[in-house]
Amino acid sequence: MKAATLALAALATGSAQTPRDPIAFVACPIYRDTDAGAKSGCWLADDPATGIRYDVSASPTKPDWNHAILVEGQRGESNANPCGGVAMAPVRVAVLKAPCTRFMLEAEGYPGRRFGLPPRNVRPLYEERARPDRPFQPKTFAIPFDFDRHFVIYQLSDYYLDATINYALDVAPARITVTGYAQTDPIEVSGQALAEPASLARARAELVVKALEMRGVPSDAITLATGAPGESADPAFDGLHGPSMRRVEIRIAPQPAR
Amino acid sequence: MTVRAKLSRAPVLAWAALALAGAMLASAAVSSVSKTKPDRWWQPDEGRVFPAQLEYSDPTGTLRLLLDHGPMSTKGHPFFSALGPNGRACVTCHQPADAMSLAVADVQREWARKGAADPLFAALDGSNCPSLPQQARASHSLLIDHGLIRIARAWPPRDLAGKVIKPDFSIAVVRDPTGCNTNAKWGLTSADPQISVYRRPRPVANFKFIEAMGFAYDPKAGMPLGLDPETGKPVSGNLMADARVPSLSAQMRDAAATHLAFLKQLSKDDIARVLDFERRLYVAQQSDATGGALDADGAKGGPRNLQISPPGRLGSEGTPVWSEFEAWAKMPAAARAKLPPALVAFRDSVARGARLFRTKTFLISDAAGINSPIGFGNPVRNSCVFCHNMSFMGMDVAPGQVDLGTTNRPFADPMPWLPLFRVTCLGAPHPHYGKVILTHDPGYALTTGRCADVGRITLQTMRGLAARAPYFSNGSAKDLRGVVDFYDRRFHIGYSEQEKSDLVNLMRAL
Repeated sequence: MKAATLALAALATGSAQTPRDPIAFVACPIYRDTDAGAKSGCWLADDPATGIRYDVSASPTKPDWNHAILVEGQRGESNANPCGGVAMAPVRVAVLKAPCTRFMLEAEGYPGRRFGLPPRNVRPLYEERARPDRPFQPKTFAIPFDFDRHFVIYQLSDYYLDATINYALDVAPARITVTGYAQTDPIEVSGQALAEPASLARARAELVVKALEMRGVPSDAITLATGAPGESADPAFDGLHGPSMRRVEIRIAPQPAR
Repeated sequence: MTVRAKLSRAPVLAWAALALAGAMLASAAVSSVSKTKPDRWWQPDEGRVFPAQLEYSDPTGTLRLLLDHGPMSTKGHPFFSALGPNGRACVTCHQPADAMSLAVADVQREWARKGAADPLFAALDGSNCPSLPQQARASHSLLIDHGLIRIARAWPPRDLAGKVIKPDFSIAVVRDPTGCNTNAKWGLTSADPQISVYRRPRPVANFKFIEAMGFAYDPKAGMPLGLDPETGKPVSGNLMADARVPSLSAQMRDAAATHLAFLKQLSKDDIARVLDFERRLYVAQQSDATGGALDADGAKGGPRNLQISPPGRLGSEGTPVWSEFEAWAKMPAAARAKLPPALVAFRDSVARGARLFRTKTFLISDAAGINSPIGFGNPVRNSCVFCHNMSFMGMDVAPGQVDLGTTNRPFADPMPWLPLFRVTCLGAPHPHYGKVILTHDPGYALTTGRCADVGRITLQTMRGLAARAPYFSNGSAKDLRGVVDFYDRRFHIGYSEQEKSDLVNLMRAL
């Protein structure tokens, strides 16, 4: 809430932004058809308050050109402009229900970005993975969710979900508390009040509990809860306050073996 | 029953009588028993020996099947035995000569030879509808002309425990050329409501790859891989067009109860024997009429490489998909000069096709399973290997239920011979079609009950393609060129004639 308010204040006054100022807006996305190989197309969005065209391609969730998007993030530190917009990094995009007219730009000389595997990716089962050292420590994991959704985000949330499940399995027996959060306090972005239903906190937590159980974590070791709305400083959110309000936290407390 | 089978059961006296009569017919029949090569069509209960290596000619070359630890007697083997009253066996619709699937050319051959008497054309699913007059060719037109088997799905769908799923869509019949979906006994408004869709049999081989789990998650569902309720263990999710069963064991029971009309439960021993056979069997094209051996001069085509290669690996992180033919692109000029020009040209085309498959990108839009619900973006630029990403096999390492548009209008080609359904989403609209969808086959949605899954079909393996036309789950592409043309239209790829030819040659070499 605080972050969004600050961002809006900055935009309203038209003050020059530094790379770390938070940016949030709602817009219809624009696809720029650059071709530097697979997944190299660019996603752009114009902030209606400033008229600045941003490059939001770095978001783990990419836009759908039929729907409006909520953009939250910061200007990137690099001045490179391969897409025809001010590059945002970190940045998160959430696809909203509001329809948009689809629009595609030609490459117009912009090269786009060659796809590179994001560092937060789930590794295949046939790869050996590192096991935690003993003695096992209590740990808390955070799993991000997009605004108004409880779908596990590819190459972001699945990475943290996998880490959570692997730790739960490695340190078993453990007491596991799964707490869902939703951003129920409205934030005003681009003239729209955006809030999530309270039920989403539970839906997110239930989803994570189901995932834990499907991977073999015993049901009787898991407690489900919902938490009061609030932000998180977990690294999963890259310092972005708005997205951090939409999450599930999993506390894993190893127990002595019986 | 074949001539051979009849003769093998004939009493000795009958043989003597035939010999005494001196009939030429008898002489020819004896000759067929003792000297001629077995027919390419396997009838149930023949008792042949399945050899360790088996080859069949197909329209562009030779298909090879390899059976680990073969040979194997099929006498009394449940895969090769008619288990139910309709005379069918698993092998009836999973023919070795057809890459363990069913080629429409062989279906037509069987109809010409035996007509409705062949168990392939059993009323329940080898005809357009059991209610039709079974002696008439027209009653079997979908199987004879398109290689399609009737699949009757319960409506509303049931989960794996048999519990009714409340679907988030309604379905109505718009067009019913077979009459089955509006039939009082077999249709959607019958006492036992069913939706009849018509699909190609999938190849029963190379299961090391089909069952492989490369990752613990299904990113298209955003969840861990589904669990087999029988074992509690995860499954690959890559079985059957609509993923209606999680395991080969469950598939066997489903198939026995429906396609074979087998009313009893398959025994554990029978299931184990079928599993053992299916998991030992590899199939791929071995040689091409123009290009020669597909494992020659450094190439690694053919089924042998499948036997020895690890399954479930992503081509992007290991062996690039279809790099089996890369050696042909790198052959020294001196070595090429010694080969016939037509052979070299074909091999070059296959190698180019493999690279095109990996590197020619195009915009993929409005395809559920790709552009939704996973956040790849809509559209997303990628190539064929985006989905066909498993090394050596070309399946999806993640479970691959995708709506290419092969069954949904407006993307599907005109198919007046197939039923057409109107799906109306009762809750949220479909992410790409809106509230109302016209479809020839709701696919995965008939398993999940979700309107967002309408038209999603599990990706198939890509081996032995030359032996098993037509293609796609509904047989809408009559040949490999038809497959390429469909993608070209659907995604506005703009392939050149050379590129189309290269992709066709690649696929016929698989």
